[in-house]
Amino acid sequence: MKFLMNIAFKNMFRNKLRTIVSILAIAFAVMIIVFARGLIDGMIEDTYSLYIHYDTGHIKIIDQEYEQKERLLSLQYTVNGVGNKSFSEMKEDLNNLEGIKMVIPRLKFGAAVSTEEELVQMLAWGVVGAKELQFTNLERQLVEGRMVKSGREVVMGTKLLAKINKSVGEDVTMVYTTAFSSFQGATFEIVGKIESNLPLLNEQLVFMPLDTAQRLLYLNNESTELLLVTNNREQANEYLPAVKNYLEKNGGADKYLAQSWKNGNSFIQLLEVSETIYNFVYLFLVLLSSIVVINTLVMIVKERTQEIGMMSALGLKKKEVMLLFMLEGSAMAVVGSFFGALAGGALNYYLSGVGFDYSAAFEDIDVLMNPIIYPTFKIEHMLFAFAIGVIVTTLTAIIPARRAAKLDPTEALREI
Amino acid sequence: MSLIKLRGLEKTYQQGKIAVPALRGIDLEVESGEFTTIFGPSGSGKTTLLNMIGCLDKSTAGEIIFDEHSINDLNSKELAEVRRYNLGFIFQSYNLIPVLTAFENVEFAIRLIEKHSKKERRERVMSLLEEVGLGEMADRRPNELSGGQKQRVAIARALIKEPKLVLADEPTANLDSETSKEVLELMEEMNSELNTTFIFSTHDPQVMDYARRLIEIKDGKITNDQRRD
Ligand SMILES: Nc1ncnc2c1ncn2[C@@H]1O[C@H](COP(=O)(O)OP(=O)(O)O)[C@@H](O)[C@H]1O
Ligand SMILES: [Mg+2]
Repeated sequence: MKFLMNIAFKNMFRNKLRTIVSILAIAFAVMIIVFARGLIDGMIEDTYSLYIHYDTGHIKIIDQEYEQKERLLSLQYTVNGVGNKSFSEMKEDLNNLEGIKMVIPRLKFGAAVSTEEELVQMLAWGVVGAKELQFTNLERQLVEGRMVKSGREVVMGTKLLAKINKSVGEDVTMVYTTAFSSFQGATFEIVGKIESNLPLLNEQLVFMPLDTAQRLLYLNNESTELLLVTNNREQANEYLPAVKNYLEKNGGADKYLAQSWKNGNSFIQLLEVSETIYNFVYLFLVLLSSIVVINTLVMIVKERTQEIGMMSALGLKKKEVMLLFMLEGSAMAVVGSFFGALAGGALNYYLSGVGFDYSAAFEDIDVLMNPIIYPTFKIEHMLFAFAIGVIVTTLTAIIPARRAAKLDPTEALREI
Repeated sequence: MSLIKLRGLEKTYQQGKIAVPALRGIDLEVESGEFTTIFGPSGSGKTTLLNMIGCLDKSTAGEIIFDEHSINDLNSKELAEVRRYNLGFIFQSYNLIPVLTAFENVEFAIRLIEKHSKKERRERVMSLLEEVGLGEMADRRPNELSGGQKQRVAIARALIKEPKLVLADEPTANLDSETSKEVLELMEEMNSELNTTFIFSTHDPQVMDYARRLIEIKDGKITNDQRRD
């Protein structure tokens, strides 16, 4: 076995060009697999983060009625304490629960700014600036100024600022509807600008301090939602019962809905299914490239007919002849897969820093998804692609190897 | 005691619907230690006969007894075993593995028989290479050797496992007459030194002179069989 391996290895160098082409074919397929996996993983990762940061938190608490009315930005169904506990006590209690790291209140409402041409609609979020910075990646995207702290100040996206023709440092007057349905206006200083690939952040959102929003809307000590941040987002479901238990104990089980980010998001579930489907695409890709190896081996078997006859005369059994050719095929597979996995890993490592832009493909699709994907660099992807490259190619090498083993020694040895 | 006994051996090739009789009733006994040639014109059945004796092919009729055992009923795997342990082959076009050195090519034949230690193997291969006059060339690849040298490597490869029988089908057909002579002298020397039985085929009268037994074959039949001293 060991000496057959040795011969198979040396045989790879007999026709270097042909061997290199075969190796490259495999390397290419394996590299694509690593890249595709990194990309999809990055996409899923990114989507998860976006949903968690700007929608669901790890666990989200809202009024049960609010779920249907969320799109209307209703201010009638708020989070405003539970039982005889006030809003702040409720936040503090939740924060003290096992595994809960942070409680983030958000007060979402509709607002508009009138310019000379039009009324620009926007989505206002009353937030605790410091908490948002800690939880999301807003810090990176704040290209000018700072996040909101307190008082009459706002932060907006680049595109939104362009729409209303304002820049950081200037004042802006916004109109909105209060909780009592009265139409009012207020003036704010623009203290920061956000530049993001995400349309939501870039052209829709306006951040203002939570207490300011509460005062303007007459919703002191209320928010439209509470986001809970746990120690580990993957274990969000495990922390959920304690939250539900707390709400129940205080008589809030009927009023509030507490949901983990993992439930009820069909887009995330779709992405996970697609990952499985892609595995079959990868398999097909490797099968295609292994055709090159099969072809090489078929040529090799033809060329070495006499040699096979000699080996068989010397007492090599059919199984050993077959093994010899399979080893040669799998040696190419190992080398190709190794370099392919390395190249794919390097590519992902690079792209995980600078990103992979395919905004063109997503121009008109309105999902919470970043048009620049940062593929993830994971050893796991490299190992996966390496394994699939080696296994599939070695298995397909059985076809030409069997052909070699079937050769009749007297036929093979015949002198021309 | 005969090493090989052939009784009524026949071989007919089927070429499409046409039956081509290559051997038509061969009776032959070869004793241990003989240095025998099978000669005859091209197409007379020499290769076919050597293939039968060499357990490479099955006969159509008749019996082959090798070292007291009938090999008629062996399957291809068992035949491979017989070849692996008992037979050495020398081919017209050498059939060395081009990616292996002379040393490794010789070693190849005993790598299949895993009864020697690495050190033992090394010593045996080296001493045999020296005997065939290639001690200095052990590390050369076949493409760095002349035809005669290649055939010497092949002879060493055939002898390394100390087989009972070495079969050589036209071993000198690709060599010039001077080199042919050297190769045959080497085979003769090995035969008398190791007492290994040699059977080789040829259609070259010059080559026949080296044999101590001449078997003439024509149209698949032995027409003459004589020993000389
Ligand atoms: N595989 C085969 N199929 C059909 N006919 C064959 C085959 N091998 C040999 N023959 C025929 O058998 C006869 C003997 O051939 P062979 O043993 O090769 O003779 P030699 O080695 O003396 O030249 C020839 O007529 C040849 O054409
Ligand atoms: Mg012949």
